[in-house]
Formats: sequence, C-alpha cells, structure tokens
Amino acid sequence: MEYLRVEGFRKKFHQTEVLKGVEFTLQKGEILVIIGASGSGKTTLLRCLNFLETPDEGKVYLGGALFSDAAVRYSDRELRKKRLKFGLVFQNFNLFPNYDAKRNVSLACELLARERARAKKRELLAAEQGARWKARRRIAAEIRAMKKEGTAESRARADALLAQVGLQEKRDSFPYELSGGQQQRVAIARALALDPEVLCFDEPTSALDPELTGEVLKVIRGLKGRTMIVVTHEMAFAREVADRVIFMADGVIEEEGTSEEVFGAPKSEKLKAFLKRTEEHGWI
Amino acid sequence: MTKFFAVTLELLEGFGTTCYIFIATLLLALPLGLIIAFGSMSRFKPLRYVVRTVVWIIRGTPLMLQIVVIFYGPGLLFGVSGFDRVPSVIVAFVINYACYFSEIYRGGIENIPRGQYEAGLVLGMTKVQIFFRITLLQVVKRILAPMSNEIITLVKDTSLARVISVIEIIKVAEGFTRQGLIWPLFYTGVFYLLFVGILTLLFRYAEKKTAYLKV
Ligand SMILES: Nc1ncnc2c1ncn2[C@@H]1O[C@H](COP(=O)(O)OP(=O)(O)OP(=O)(O)O)[C@@H](O)[C@H]1O
Ligand SMILES: [Mg+2]
Repeated sequence: MEYLRVEGFRKKFHQTEVLKGVEFTLQKGEILVIIGASGSGKTTLLRCLNFLETPDEGKVYLGGALFSDAAVRYSDRELRKKRLKFGLVFQNFNLFPNYDAKRNVSLACELLARERARAKKRELLAAEQGARWKARRRIAAEIRAMKKEGTAESRARADALLAQVGLQEKRDSFPYELSGGQQQRVAIARALALDPEVLCFDEPTSALDPELTGEVLKVIRGLKGRTMIVVTHEMAFAREVADRVIFMADGVIEEEGTSEEVFGAPKSEKLKAFLKRTEEHGWI
Repeated sequence: MTKFFAVTLELLEGFGTTCYIFIATLLLALPLGLIIAFGSMSRFKPLRYVVRTVVWIIRGTPLMLQIVVIFYGPGLLFGVSGFDRVPSVIVAFVINYACYFSEIYRGGIENIPRGQYEAGLVLGMTKVQIFFRITLLQVVKRILAPMSNEIITLVKDTSLARVISVIEIIKVAEGFTRQGLIWPLFYTGVFYLLFVGILTLLFRYAEKKTAYLKV
C-alpha cells in the first residue's frame, strides 16, 4: 500500500529553481535511497519534507490522506504537529552542546510530556468550574505526578534508544566528548525518540572519517522496517539497503527504480556517468 | 582619625547612590537589551531598521549628552516637567546600556550554529523552547567576557551622574576638596576597585560554571 506520496514539489531560491517538480511514492516500511550529484537538490527535498523550507508548490500525502499542501499557510502550531511525523538526521549531527547524550535524546519528549500535562491541567480546571482549593490541590498534585512520570518515561526511553545505538555507557557524555560517529548515533537516537512516521537522513556519514562510517551505517541498517529516506553518497550501502532508489539531477528525478534496476541496469546517460564517476573515486 | 570615619561615612552614602544607579541600570538594561536584540534581528524590515537606527544613535552619541537631554529635554522642549535627577540618570543609563548589551546579545545569538535551531524545530520544539532550552545558555557563555567588560565600565560610568548634580561618590569627594581635602577623591578609587574586584570574581565564577560548555 502506498504510504507516502510526494506530489509536484517545486522550490526556487531567488531565481534558481532547485526542485522542478519532484514526485515519488513510498510504501510503509520501505527504505528510499536518494542519490545524485552535489547541488541536485537532495538536501532541499528533505528540508521541504521536514518543513524547514516551504516548497513553492507541491503536496504530501501520508497514509492515504492529504498531509500538507504548499498552497496552505500553516500556523506555527500546525507546523509543529506536522514536523513530529517526520524526523531528520543531519549531515553534521547538530546535537545540543549544552546537554549530555541522554538529555539530547530525551529533551523533546520531556517537553512534549510537560505540554500534555499542562493541557490536561487546563482541561481539569475548566471541568471544575470555580474549583475550590481542595479540588485545585488535588489537580495540582495529579499534574505534578503526570509531569514526573512523563519525564521518567522520556529518560527511560532515551536510555533504551542509546542502548539500541550501542552507546549506553556514553549517556553522560557531552557532544564534545564524543567522536563524530558517536555523535551521529546519538543524533539518530534523538530522531527516533519521537518515533516519526518517516525518518530522513541527509548524508549521515559524509562528515565522518572513513573508519567511523561503518558504525553509523550499521545502526541505520538495524532500523530496517521503518519508513526511511536516506540521502547518501555511500553507494555500496545504498545498493544494499535500498528498497527503492531515486537518482536526482538538476532538481528532477532522472531515474527511479529498485536497487537492482538503478544500480544493475541504469538507463539514463546521466546516471551511467554518475555511477561511473562514483566507482572511480569511491565517492562524489 | 575621626575625620577619616566622617569622610568614609559620607562617601559611603554617595556610594549607595552609585550602587543604586548601577543595580537599577543592570536589572532593567539586561532584559531590555535582549528585546532590542530581537528587534534588531527581526525579519520585519521596518522594525529592524528603526531599532538599528536607534542603536546607532545611542551608541554614537556621548552618554553625558544623553543624560543631559533626558533631564533637561522635557522641560526645555515641551515645557513639561520630566523625571527627577536620579530617575533621569537611570533612564539614560538603561537606554544607553541596553543598546550596548543588545549588540553583544546579537553577536552571541547569531554565532550559534543555525543547525541546532533547525534540529530543535524538527523535534517539534517551539522557538521559545529552543531559545530558552538550547540557545540561551550557550549565548550566556559566549557573551560573558564582553558583558563583564561592559558591566565594569558601567560601574565607572555611574560617575557621569554628577553632570546633573546627582550626589554620587565622586560628587561627595569633590565637596571635600572645597574644605582643602584632596585625599577623599583618591579614596573613592578604593570603593571602585573593591566593587570591580567583586564583580571580577563573580564573572570568573560564572566562567568556571559554564566551562563545561565547549561551544
Ligand atoms: N538557502 C538557500 N539559498 C539559496 N540557494 C540555496 C539554498 N539552499 C540550497 N541552495 C541551492 O540549491 C541547490 C541545491 O542544493 P542542495 O543542498 O539541495 O543540493 P544537494 O543535492 O543536497 O547537494 P550536496 O550533495 O552537495 O549536499 C544548490 O545549487 C544550492 O546552492
Ligand atoms: Mg546536501
């Protein structure tokens, strides 16, 4: 069943058109790998999906329903809710330097739990119209307990996720105390903490020393079964994990297919040239 | 010896005014500076230009002139009575220092890598949450050194209050010169040095406390 559908994405920066009508679909649990030369618009596409940029045109359908439409201006509140459906792992990690690994992972969850508690409080207080102080005290205690529980749950979840990426003993380390590979694994755990419907990766290993890429790719491999979009220059990895592959060139999808089709039997000249170049250099 | 105590007591009284101006200015200018900083970074162009122009004017003219304008201006220009002396001084100082602080804040905020902000957004955080939970502490660390400079300058700038006859410590000491005593004027230096010394220690403590932030 088609799970994600991106329709007619267009994006211009000043005069240059970076996305010229990109569309694709993705099944639930599939991994889509996006390859393409530098400047072809891969990052821009992921940023549009995560609402860090607004496309000029285009629609996204998620789970069969219209999810977002470039023609609609969403409020900050709506945008926040929509952003939670997508996750993004950045090329250069972007961890929060003022928190240790565990807090990096748990922070967003904790904040959401607190917000839920506050919303609940408003609800309860509204129900108890003109609440007497006794009722107020009961509500306050209930909310405190709820906040505490939310925090504890978020932290427990962070512990579990750090274990999943193989970093439980680094949970008290600050980002500057971690290697690039470890930082990126924390970033992946952080993105998983909110359990997004679609998890995107923007060249997750290209800021790493070659000997550190393996550990990160291993973690991503372990996420198989999640719906993911991975932009990467690691062709061997792409070939191995991709259920579908998109080759982008100059803001359009030049070629698309299964891993075997795209890597085994490329049709377009641009893709052939691109694959040849990557083979020669091992990278782009 | 009794003279020494009498002078000390009088100087202390003037120093009280000095401290009052200092503390009031700091308490008001620190948050106001942040608001001005946000104004000068606003995406709404007219606001940004107005704020930046005001900052330019305030930073580009002498503080002494600003004090005089705020104290005498309302009366001379509009025939209305303005603030009293001390409040005038505080208003002038707050505006002036808020503008300097705003530039320090702006530098601190703009230097935070944008990626962290975007990472927060992607995680469903609000701009306010991102600012207070992620950006602020890093900004504090980055601006600690320039802020300590500015705040130490403020300690000594309070002496400008005497241009509109506010009785702060230097003004008191000057009074003694008319009695032929010059040493109280030098003695005021001790007060300033002690005050600045304490501030320096406080800032050093804050720097130690934020040393774990390798940003
Ligand atoms: N904020 C921006 N303002 C102006 N131009 C931009 C902006 N972001 C991207 N571009 C331009 O859009 C084009 C596509 O950029 P994008 O980052 O999406 O490419 P990419 O495929 O991710 O490349 P790479 O492999 O180098 O990461 C580039 O020419 C870039 O200069
Ligand atoms: Mg890119």
